[in-house]
Amino acid sequence: MSRPWQSPTPLIQQKIRWTVLLVTVVFALLLLRLWYLQVLEGRYYATLSASNRLRIRSVEAPRGFILDRSGEVIVENRPSFDVYVIPAAVPDLDEAAHAIGTVLGQAPEEIVAKIRGGRAHPYRPVLLAQELNERTMVVIEERKMDLPGVSLRVRPLRSYVDGGIAAHLVGYVSEVNQEQLHLEAYRDFRPGDTVGQAGVERRLDSFVRGIDGWEEVETDAQGRVVRLMDRLEPQSGFSLVLTLDKKLQMAAEKAFAGKRGSVVALNPQTGEILVWVSRPAYDPNRFAKQLSREAWEELVNDPTHPLQNRPMQAQYPPGSVFKLVVMAAALEAGAVTPETVFNCPGYFRLGRTTFDDWKEGGHGQQDLMQAITNSCNVYFYQAALKAGIDAIVLVAREFGLGQKTGIGFGDEAKGLIPSPSWKQEVLGERWYLGDTVITGIGQGMILVTPLQMVTLVAAIANGGTVYRPWVVERVESWGGEVVAAYGPEPVRKVNLRPRVLELVRQGMLRVVEEGTGRVARIRGVRVAGKTGTAQVVKKEAHGPGKTEDHAWFVAFAPYENPEIAIAVIAENAGKGGSAAGPVARAVLEAAFSPLLEKGTVAQGPSPESQ
Amino acid sequence: MYLDRRILTNFDWRMAGITLILIAVGILTIWSGNLGSSSSYRQALYIRQILWGALGLCGLVAAAFVNYRLLARFAYPIFGLLLGLLLVVEVTGAVGFGAQRWIRVGFLTVQPSEFMKLALIIFLARYFEDRKEHLGKPRLMATPAMVALVPIFFVLRQPDLGTAALLGLLTLSMLFLVGLRLKHLLFLVFAGAALTPLLWSMLKGYQQQRIWAFLFPSLDPLGAGYHVMQSKIAVGSGELLGKGLKAASQSQLNFLPASHTDFIFAVLAEQWGFVGCLVILLLCYFLITRGLEIASEAKDVFGALMAFGIMAMVMLQLLVNAGMVLGIMPVVGVPFPLLSYGGSSLLVVCLGVGLVINVRIRRFVY
Repeated sequence: MSRPWQSPTPLIQQKIRWTVLLVTVVFALLLLRLWYLQVLEGRYYATLSASNRLRIRSVEAPRGFILDRSGEVIVENRPSFDVYVIPAAVPDLDEAAHAIGTVLGQAPEEIVAKIRGGRAHPYRPVLLAQELNERTMVVIEERKMDLPGVSLRVRPLRSYVDGGIAAHLVGYVSEVNQEQLHLEAYRDFRPGDTVGQAGVERRLDSFVRGIDGWEEVETDAQGRVVRLMDRLEPQSGFSLVLTLDKKLQMAAEKAFAGKRGSVVALNPQTGEILVWVSRPAYDPNRFAKQLSREAWEELVNDPTHPLQNRPMQAQYPPGSVFKLVVMAAALEAGAVTPETVFNCPGYFRLGRTTFDDWKEGGHGQQDLMQAITNSCNVYFYQAALKAGIDAIVLVAREFGLGQKTGIGFGDEAKGLIPSPSWKQEVLGERWYLGDTVITGIGQGMILVTPLQMVTLVAAIANGGTVYRPWVVERVESWGGEVVAAYGPEPVRKVNLRPRVLELVRQGMLRVVEEGTGRVARIRGVRVAGKTGTAQVVKKEAHGPGKTEDHAWFVAFAPYENPEIAIAVIAENAGKGGSAAGPVARAVLEAAFSPLLEKGTVAQGPSPESQ
Repeated sequence: MYLDRRILTNFDWRMAGITLILIAVGILTIWSGNLGSSSSYRQALYIRQILWGALGLCGLVAAAFVNYRLLARFAYPIFGLLLGLLLVVEVTGAVGFGAQRWIRVGFLTVQPSEFMKLALIIFLARYFEDRKEHLGKPRLMATPAMVALVPIFFVLRQPDLGTAALLGLLTLSMLFLVGLRLKHLLFLVFAGAALTPLLWSMLKGYQQQRIWAFLFPSLDPLGAGYHVMQSKIAVGSGELLGKGLKAASQSQLNFLPASHTDFIFAVLAEQWGFVGCLVILLLCYFLITRGLEIASEAKDVFGALMAFGIMAMVMLQLLVNAGMVLGIMPVVGVPFPLLSYGGSSLLVVCLGVGLVINVRIRRFVY
């Protein structure tokens, strides 16, 4: 075909040929770029696309319940309506903080800080508030469009009944912290996970925790969930049945209200812990929610140490309760017999040193039973001297004093039974006879924990077996299937003649029936016990209100067939009989009143103490 | 005017066909891309686009049959009219998305800057035809270049960085056709570089941000760089064969902003993968090279320049848009020819294709 038309200009035609070439090159480049993005890097971008759209979020498993020995609830869960925000989905931080703050009633700066804190993981939801009320939830739902990235979720929240029964024993849960996340033991945890932080909650966390589920949700660019794609149901944690007796626990907490110190009770035949009171206490519910830094520091720095688990962490001189050990040691060593009589003029002289009795004018002639009944110091000064420090230390250790009981959770204090070799080693001083004398009445450097004391009493009561105290009876699945069960664990049989323990028990019975412990008498049950007063040394140094002595009371009952052993210490409360005795009595009453027809209390005479 | 038999036989069915296919693909993509949207406005967008498509095709046919020499005659008044409309926008234009780009004509809103592209092409074609004896001479370039700066200035003020840049590039490519030399181009580049601080200061904050985001997308992945990143994810995740119409989550779940306008090519890439993109780009390639062929075979300088200018416009829009979507150019709002939602843009390209066909039809007509 010839060219019937006139070409405009050869210049234009030539330029157009160049242009076609250029266009071809441009298209080739675009296709190359497409090939690169879609074929070479396609997998990578497909993954990104999926993670954009699909978010895996974990569904927290409800923790198992914690029940008392008869199935009464101590810890349960309740639904908490929480509000979260996905930092990546917040277009304008200040605007969002203002909008969210208005709804939640929080300061915008606070919200900005929370969202900023989540910047490192922009797609991980940040918790803004917990336990929203219905009104706030409705407002958030209504304003969903104005609140990009904000979502509501229901989560099981740990709930401790009555503000936390036996809080220090049960423990608490909180978000796993930064230090823990670095530990090997916590390698399965992710930030935001809840973990037991103290007590049984921590010790048996792997049982109670359950297995978190997850759900895969599709979200839009604003982080709003569009639909649920897949879900793995979480598996609830196992429930724990404790040896604790809620009824006794409540009685003890009520009786101990306003005091500082501990009440511990256990079954002397098995070592099962029945009561565990530590005061002052904290409300574990506060940890289950997010505890503010200030609130945490306030707790940690509280001079009354509410976080301290006193029954096993606080150490006190045992005071006259230690006379039970001295008595056993002296009898076993043959240093005294029930017939041995010492005169108590109100003081005891050793060389140039005078050791006083607590009773002005003294007790006069005392045999062993009278001495323990009246808690005569002078008798026990001499009994200790005659038995010798080695015998006393030996028996104290037989009963487990100066060692951890092995209860198995938390940092248990060891206490201290000072011996000549210990004194030489640690203080670089030799042991004086005067040291032995004051050891005879539980003073000096001896330190015990309330848990050790109750273990001691239990061993006396049961005929000489030291049991490891234990608190979890069994672990149960939701179906009631027993996953794990625990039982008594005898640590040792105390190396004492049965007759010796028999005499100690008789002495304790007389303490309550006619001696310093009359306040603990209850009608229908024979109670055996011992009072004690732990001197607070350097009184002035402790500041006002802390100069009073610590009051001890230990007891077991019934005398014939002991079912409960108890140790009470009331810090800075004065004499043992008056301050600690009534608490022990209240617990014993609660324990035996159902068995007794009327459950009335034999009103003890006005307490004379010690 | 008479209807010659040759008008029908020379009507370029291939160009018209490709245009029709592209419009249809655009409507399909707008429809499917908004399936996941909860907004009824977005769900109904495709219906509006069907209407615009129909109007566009009518425009194409009309532009193909009215003798283009008429345009040559009225090139200057048309250019003046459009400049006036830009002024109207400047004064009264409807404000949308923080920019004044639209004016209301009855129930429609039109964007004069889109039509300015055609007016500028016609203006330049007429200007150079009048001086065809001097084609290739540098002094021929200065005046039209200065004139072209006027609409560019108004469009920048709207502000519409993309269209302004397009008008500039369009002018440059037409100057290239009539003899702009490399050394002149280099001079312009240097002049441009010298003017950069001034131009930069004319940009709005978000425009500056976009350019920064293009240069350093990792600086602010959730802010200005977000569009580029999400677009690349959409395109890349389409892989070889695409996710299909309904499973293209990236665009449906609003991760991709403006998925129906500036980022429609990304939606397409996610839905149809490399193979789909290849087909679309080949169609565009045929359309453009065919148009260029017609330009080189035009019977007069005006026809050649006009056809070339229109094809340059299509090519430049495609390059800037696809370059932006593929993360190799800054994010400036330039629609993909025929695919993107938007009546003015669609209509302008349809009219342009019609005019190119017109040039072909009339190459035998004397």
